[in-house]
Amino acid sequence: MAFTRLELIFILGLSAFVLRALPQLFLVGKSFPDTWDRLLRYLSYALLCGLISITLFMSGPRFDVQAAPYRAVALAVTIAIAYKTKSAVTGMLVGMVLVLLFSWQR
Amino acid sequence: MSFAPRFRQGMKAAIPIWIAFVPSSLAWGIAAQAHGLTLGEIVLMSAWVYSGPAQFAVLVPLAEGKSAATVLIAGVLMNLRFLPMSTALAPFFRGVKRVPLAIAAHVISASSFIVPYLQFQKEREASGGSSIADGYGNLGFFAGIGATAFTVWVVGTAAGYGVALSFPAGFEEALKFILPGYFAGLLVAEMKGKTMPLICFVSIVTAIPGALFNLGWGWLATSALIAVLGWSLEKWLSHD
Repeated sequence: MAFTRLELIFILGLSAFVLRALPQLFLVGKSFPDTWDRLLRYLSYALLCGLISITLFMSGPRFDVQAAPYRAVALAVTIAIAYKTKSAVTGMLVGMVLVLLFSWQR
Repeated sequence: MSFAPRFRQGMKAAIPIWIAFVPSSLAWGIAAQAHGLTLGEIVLMSAWVYSGPAQFAVLVPLAEGKSAATVLIAGVLMNLRFLPMSTALAPFFRGVKRVPLAIAAHVISASSFIVPYLQFQKEREASGGSSIADGYGNLGFFAGIGATAFTVWVVGTAAGYGVALSFPAGFEEALKFILPGYFAGLLVAEMKGKTMPLICFVSIVTAIPGALFNLGWGWLATSALIAVLGWSLEKWLSHD
């Protein structure tokens, strides 16, 4: 079954709403076990990292051999700067400049 | 305390969240424009899905016309974290009717969860447990944070779309780096313990072979598997 982009956004928003509203409406007074809370957090961290990886290193269905080393360097620098400064924005800006410089150089 | 003064208190407490939301919403708007989404789609997604990580998760599959199942599963897995957040807040809204609860639930996000949750816990300890009974007051505080942060997010993404349009040609590479770079920075700034960095590193490395094996599902399945393995290993090592 094919959906348009708008339909997908609508379904996605609906699912987000259900996940947010369900505990408010039906789980008042219940507690969520800490261990399951940790699993859900790890799940979102792992998915974000997987996404970062495929967004940066894949071009459609193939691994972007030419650009991957440059983007990997920019990502590593972003991570190092964000860790050092505790600022995601600073890390991102430096990484962006690096990616830009690499893309102009290639 | 009634709803209105607590709403104003919440607004004041939300100022740091607004500041944090400005760059991330701009980044999302810029990246979404760079991936070919229209202004209407961007604003609708920010207002209706209202989840930075989920919006990031579905951006590429949505823009590239991947299967609906891939888009929805990636988004839902990312949004599962709302379950424990919403469950943790629920006891503080005791006595509130279902309609206002359902409306307020829409603005639950990581930031609009943590600030009121810590505040409610502090107030509960200070009052010996009686503050938990002020459901409408607590909802006011939460709504003051959630509704204003939501507004900043939606307006910010629309502004990001406008900013992206003004970038000259040749900046596409940098624009597409914004979102992964920003989320990588956020994750690193939040790193705690040993399990999380390990899960993140292994996910980054294994997502590529996963995607090469199956472009739609491979990275999703690999990342989910890594998370479950990391969590199981941590449980096993701590004899939980």
